Amino acid sequence: MNLELDPADVEFREEVRAFLAKKLDSRVAERNRRGFHTSCEDKRAWTRILAEKGWAGPAWPKEYGGPGWTDMQVMIFEEECFLAGAPLVDQGGFKLLGPVVWTFGTEEQKRRFLEPTRRGDIFWGQGFSEPNAGSDLASLTTRAVRDGDEYVVNGHKIWTSDAHFADYIFALVKTDPEAKSRGISFVVFDAKSPGVTIRPIIDIGEGHCLNEIFIDSVRLPVSNLIGEENRGWSYAKFLLDNERAYSAEVPRNKLALNRLKAIAATRQDDDRRLIDDPIFASRIAQLEAELAALEYQTLRALSDKLGGSQLPVGSILKVRGSELIQKIGEMQIEALGEFGSVVYPEHNSSDSSPGPDYAHGVLADFMYRRSTTIYGGTNEIQRTIIAKSFLGL
Amino acid sequence: MNFELDEMQTLLKNSVAHWTAKNYGFEARSKLVHEGGGFSEAHWSAFVEFGWLGASLAEENGGYGGGPIEAAIIMEEFGKALVAEPFFAVGVLAAQTLIGMGGEAAIALVHAMQAGETRAVLAHTEAAARGDVGCVSSIARRTGAGWSINGTKAMVWGGPFADQFIVSARSFGATRDRQGISLFLVPADAPGLSRRNARLSDGSRAAALSFTDVSIPQDALLGTEGGALDALARGQAHGIVALCAEAVGAMDRVLWMTRDYLLMRKQFKQPIGNFQALQHRMADMLIELELSRSVLYRALSRLGSPVDERDHAVSLAKVQIGKAAKFVGGQAIQLHGAIGVTEECAVGHYFRRLTLIDNSFGSVQNHLQRIAAHFQRAA
Repeated sequence: MNLELDPADVEFREEVRAFLAKKLDSRVAERNRRGFHTSCEDKRAWTRILAEKGWAGPAWPKEYGGPGWTDMQVMIFEEECFLAGAPLVDQGGFKLLGPVVWTFGTEEQKRRFLEPTRRGDIFWGQGFSEPNAGSDLASLTTRAVRDGDEYVVNGHKIWTSDAHFADYIFALVKTDPEAKSRGISFVVFDAKSPGVTIRPIIDIGEGHCLNEIFIDSVRLPVSNLIGEENRGWSYAKFLLDNERAYSAEVPRNKLALNRLKAIAATRQDDDRRLIDDPIFASRIAQLEAELAALEYQTLRALSDKLGGSQLPVGSILKVRGSELIQKIGEMQIEALGEFGSVVYPEHNSSDSSPGPDYAHGVLADFMYRRSTTIYGGTNEIQRTIIAKSFLGL
Repeated sequence: MNFELDEMQTLLKNSVAHWTAKNYGFEARSKLVHEGGGFSEAHWSAFVEFGWLGASLAEENGGYGGGPIEAAIIMEEFGKALVAEPFFAVGVLAAQTLIGMGGEAAIALVHAMQAGETRAVLAHTEAAARGDVGCVSSIARRTGAGWSINGTKAMVWGGPFADQFIVSARSFGATRDRQGISLFLVPADAPGLSRRNARLSDGSRAAALSFTDVSIPQDALLGTEGGALDALARGQAHGIVALCAEAVGAMDRVLWMTRDYLLMRKQFKQPIGNFQALQHRMADMLIELELSRSVLYRALSRLGSPVDERDHAVSLAKVQIGKAAKFVGGQAIQLHGAIGVTEECAVGHYFRRLTLIDNSFGSVQNHLQRIAAHFQRAA
């Protein structure tokens, strides 16, 4: 057991910080740090800056244009980017589509999709969930029927983050409804294809990142099938396993906790600071302890990736990381007091709404984060996974 | 960074686990804590012979070159078995305080403790302390021949089995001043020292000590006069982390005992483990256990850090593990139903130990206040 940080990793963190200080636009950073959804232009511009440096797709192997970093370096890079307020680049493209294409795709598909994704020329939307297939994702009904060299797809996908920015959609579709196994395939199609309609869904924070996608007789070439027909479910599971070490969203929680402390440390008109209130401070301290534990749980998950532990660490991280971000949000709203309830417009930070500057974005983010305990498999599903797969109940 | 035990550490873990499996079955343990006074000389000799008292100490201190990780390995296994002997009091708390103090006499004592030549324990905690390491109102007064000690110590773990006490007392300053505290080595049979033994909730033993004009020679002073606070803080930091490791072991064992019970116990014609409400409770218990393990590793990684960072990490661990200990221990009883509240069922004994750990060296609330003070200073 070696609990020391590798000096090379400490140095690497400094390198990332220096890069961010130099290349990240401070206005963009401020907007992101406030928790507003990032605009398409900001995402694309930042992806191009990263691609230039060779740092887009931090977890991508060198072969496909990635930096070939260790898991620890990837974690450090993502944390520093998030804390600095860098736009979150296309998560679907970099974390889901990319690994599936280089693992299961043809050479032609790799050429078509990997480099444009890395350069930020193709943004991806993820078509997994459906109105009637949430926790029970395998019951999805979007149907792809083979017609010569094409598939004809009909169905309805929902909860797609940033689909309104997407150039391409990757989706799970039913290719064999009679199959004893799941009969699901993994396909991609142009978001501008005839028959694709993308409709915004406004969340309770009045923000827009979610969408639903109506797919009406959309035709796509058979060459847009990734991997084998009817094997898509195993590819999706492969993706989710890939991501398990990151599911606590430690960087997001760190940034949020820092923000909570900053709000609470502001001197009020009576010169007092909420952070000096012993009860409020001890509640913050409780959250800090939870975050410290989660951070080390994440480091253990990275280490376990090599050791192959059976611990359901993805589920553990998901449950507690998502609950923590909600608890921190609740305290941010509380710390803002009267201004915690003011609606600040998302795309106009220079508006004349009353209240301190630091109040902008808190409410919107807090409201949207109610989704964290739902997305990626609800926390109830995660608890059932823990009980069944690990505890053998 | 990696969290896998290396070969020597695995060997240590296995040897402790093997010993506890052989010597610390539930029946044997019950007998020891009820009829055997909570202590077995044979067990203590085993600790000495296996080298466990020196496993976590550097070679220059007479140990085998290990560190806090080795102490945590032993404590975790002892936590699984609910070992009652004062391994912690001698091998961690006293040893680490003495190493922090330094000086020839202190280090010689550490050597003698590992060799089983003496069982010296730290007599430091006073009733008002609640984890505040500087809280010492016991007084050391200079006399012609040496020192005279007056004062009381609240609950000295392992006190009934000690032949010497490492006593904290102040020769100047007020009760919570950081300066003025010294350490003195006092024989357990010193005139004027009275010892009232207590059985603690988990079956282990402690003693309340009272010092009335206890005379000790000049050279009973360990290290420098008035400057023991840092050593006591170091001992407490190592001590809390070791107790956290013990709690992780206790939680781990009681969680799997409960899992087995859910598979075995039938109600409504099926194993109660089929019920989702209970499955989710078990999932939350596992989460608390694993987060405790994680925050323990974090604290272990900071024991050599600057004092402020070290103590902050220790408080974070104590908070998470104190909270988890009550939850996991309490829910293990709940899921067992009424049998869990009985003396004959093992789970309740884990709850007893876990409750005691939470409330030692400062409760969750005390450590939350310290974490808060840390960020209030920075803000």
